[in-house]
Amino acid sequence: MSIKSVFDSGYLKLLRSCAKIEFLTDMGCSMEWIEKIGRSIGKAGKSFGGTLAFSGKVLARMLRRKTYSSATREVLVNQIYFTSVQILPAFLLVSILFSSLLVGIVFQVLKDFGLTEFFGHVLMGLIVTELSPIFAVLLITLRSASAINVEMAVMKSNRELKTLETFRIDLMNYLVVPRIINGMVSMVLLSSLFAIVLMASGVLFSGLIFDMSVDVYRNILLNSTSFSDIFIALVKCAIFGFFITLIPIRFGLRATSELTSVPVVVSGGMVNVFLAVLIIEVLSLLTKLL
Amino acid sequence: MQRFLSTNSTVTAPVSVDVPLLSNQDVIMNISLIKEYHENMSKKDASLFVMQGLQRLGIAHVAYKRNPALTSEERFRAMLLRAAMVKDALIVIDRPFKIISHLENAGFLFQSLSEIDDLFIHCHIFEYRWMKEKYGDLCL
Repeated sequence: MSIKSVFDSGYLKLLRSCAKIEFLTDMGCSMEWIEKIGRSIGKAGKSFGGTLAFSGKVLARMLRRKTYSSATREVLVNQIYFTSVQILPAFLLVSILFSSLLVGIVFQVLKDFGLTEFFGHVLMGLIVTELSPIFAVLLITLRSASAINVEMAVMKSNRELKTLETFRIDLMNYLVVPRIINGMVSMVLLSSLFAIVLMASGVLFSGLIFDMSVDVYRNILLNSTSFSDIFIALVKCAIFGFFITLIPIRFGLRATSELTSVPVVVSGGMVNVFLAVLIIEVLSLLTKLL
Repeated sequence: MQRFLSTNSTVTAPVSVDVPLLSNQDVIMNISLIKEYHENMSKKDASLFVMQGLQRLGIAHVAYKRNPALTSEERFRAMLLRAAMVKDALIVIDRPFKIISHLENAGFLFQSLSEIDDLFIHCHIFEYRWMKEKYGDLCL
């Protein structure tokens, strides 16, 4: 065997082994990817199942009369004050600005495209029943859901939840139920308020753009109002309110005694709230289509 | 102490650094919460009752302060009153010198307890053996 042939055979052997290793690495990589995807789906499924199970527990507690002790009622009143009343000046200001802008632009576009006869349907079917809940959900999520998420996580880290348990105060009755009822009530109230502001600015812009009297505006609105749509919108608001408070609470309760766990559970909670809002919106649109 | 708490869990009311006041509520709400939750007492009645207790302990001025704004003595007394709000309370004070570390003896503890002695049935203090001196003759 010459030196060259040894080299050649060694080189070939090396090439073969490289190919083999590469092939195995490829397989390993793809298996790892599949495992990763499977793990993520499993984790998401488990989390979704956990959220549904937690929702069931909360609903059961909400329907129990015993849940509403004096302390729970006090928390509920305080929460409604923090979420629905304290926000009012800012909410009204933003609502007036946003609704005027929106209604003004939409009416002008309808006029430009000669779609004046559809303006009632657009106002009621799209702006009032679809955009009002989204606007309210955004404000409540940004202001209250994030605060609830942090509050729960910090209470868990500071062992304050353990304090409540030590004094035999049920966390579900005292902390969870009033916050979730507040979410539902506040969502319905603020969304309705936004719709009212929107319709009021509609009076102004219908007069300016279409030269329409208040009576004609009112008649058009009443004729284009579908009560089933309004019912769906209100139910959707309540469901939004339920989940945008339930998810931050659930994630907040996952915090550990270390303060570093607080930002982790807060970001997780807020991402999941966003996903829940998307899912509920899609489901409500499907309900409308069906 | 954990064993003691678990065997007497129905009426035990701990005073401990491990059972802190709720930081998002003021002192009066922290204490009246017990009456409101367990006895369904109205907020007004519970607040009035708690305010009387705070006055007896000489800390009425902290009623609307929150936990971080309290001194160690005020915190101890607030936690003691909260424990005394449990009906037929068996108060368990866990290492009181961990709550008020600068105290030289147990005089302050016993004075605080004597000021609200009608609000609880028994009180147990759990302490390290090496702190015995601070309790003087009162030690068992």
